[in-house]
Amino acid sequence: MRCPYCGHDNIQGIELCEQCGADLAGLDIPEAGDGLGGRLLTDRVADLDLSPAPLLGPDGTVADALDLMANQRHGCVLVVEDGVLCGIFTERDVLSRVVLAGCDATATPLSAVMTPTPVRLEADDPPAFAIHSMVSRGLRHLPVVAGAELLGFVSVRNLLRYIRRDVIG
Amino acid sequence: MPETIVDILRRAKVGDIALDTAPTVHPDATLEQVCRLLEGRERSAVVVCDGEQVCGIFTQRDLLYRAAEGALDPKGAIGELMTRSPRTFQAGRPLSEALDVMVEGGFRQLPLVDGEGRARGLLTTWDVLAFIARRFPEETLNLPPRLHQVLSTPEGA
Repeated sequence: MRCPYCGHDNIQGIELCEQCGADLAGLDIPEAGDGLGGRLLTDRVADLDLSPAPLLGPDGTVADALDLMANQRHGCVLVVEDGVLCGIFTERDVLSRVVLAGCDATATPLSAVMTPTPVRLEADDPPAFAIHSMVSRGLRHLPVVAGAELLGFVSVRNLLRYIRRDVIG
Repeated sequence: MPETIVDILRRAKVGDIALDTAPTVHPDATLEQVCRLLEGRERSAVVVCDGEQVCGIFTQRDLLYRAAEGALDPKGAIGELMTRSPRTFQAGRPLSEALDVMVEGGFRQLPLVDGEGRARGLLTTWDVLAFIARRFPEETLNLPPRLHQVLSTPEGA
């Protein structure tokens, strides 16, 4: 990458310019290309049509979660304690930790079957971050927070709808 | 001039990107067998076929709805639990059309068929997102890691 201070052409990813010693860390963040459209890097996930998250406390039961997910037609429940996100319970967990594990839905608390401290996005993260997180980790739901405040979650579907409407046009 | 996402979605055929052939089961398969298949293959649905023809689909969302109605019998036949005669999609059609159908119709999965209605795999919304990410690594996959993402646990959602 080219040093913005002295113009020396350094190798990609180097932290300090080889010629003038300027700090280059963080400067090699990719710029918006014309391919998929710069909006993927300049929009904010908070401005997507976020799904309002179905919420339960860690003491809520699996049966409560199943009811909520089925009635609101969402693939996950976010688990919140004192207003702070502490876990996620998804339809994949219904498969592996409830049905296959044979757990008693009315007697099992969510804290026993949720994924604690889930991967989350910050409100200002670009949609590209959401795509990156989902595809590289195999996730389908990502909670979005602004500091301690929970804004909702973004799903594969939210992202495809956004790509189709705003990026493809 | 670089190829745009629209060019690529129009040119790619859905059959080209549904790489992993979907697990296909007979209507007599049990719920437990189907769940094991979904868990092991990390797939969100199985296509149910009688012979070569698609007769149903059973998704993780279906499992959620059935589980919410009450306890499930692991020995129950999937033919009784599946969604019958699902919306299918021709494997030879462009990906852009599949994206339209999925977004407008709210389908997370589309069983693929050939001209004679024979099962030819499964296309999921996740597959489409992953395809886009792979074709545009500059914009998506080369992003620097964030602290809050590095520290989190990578499973479950």
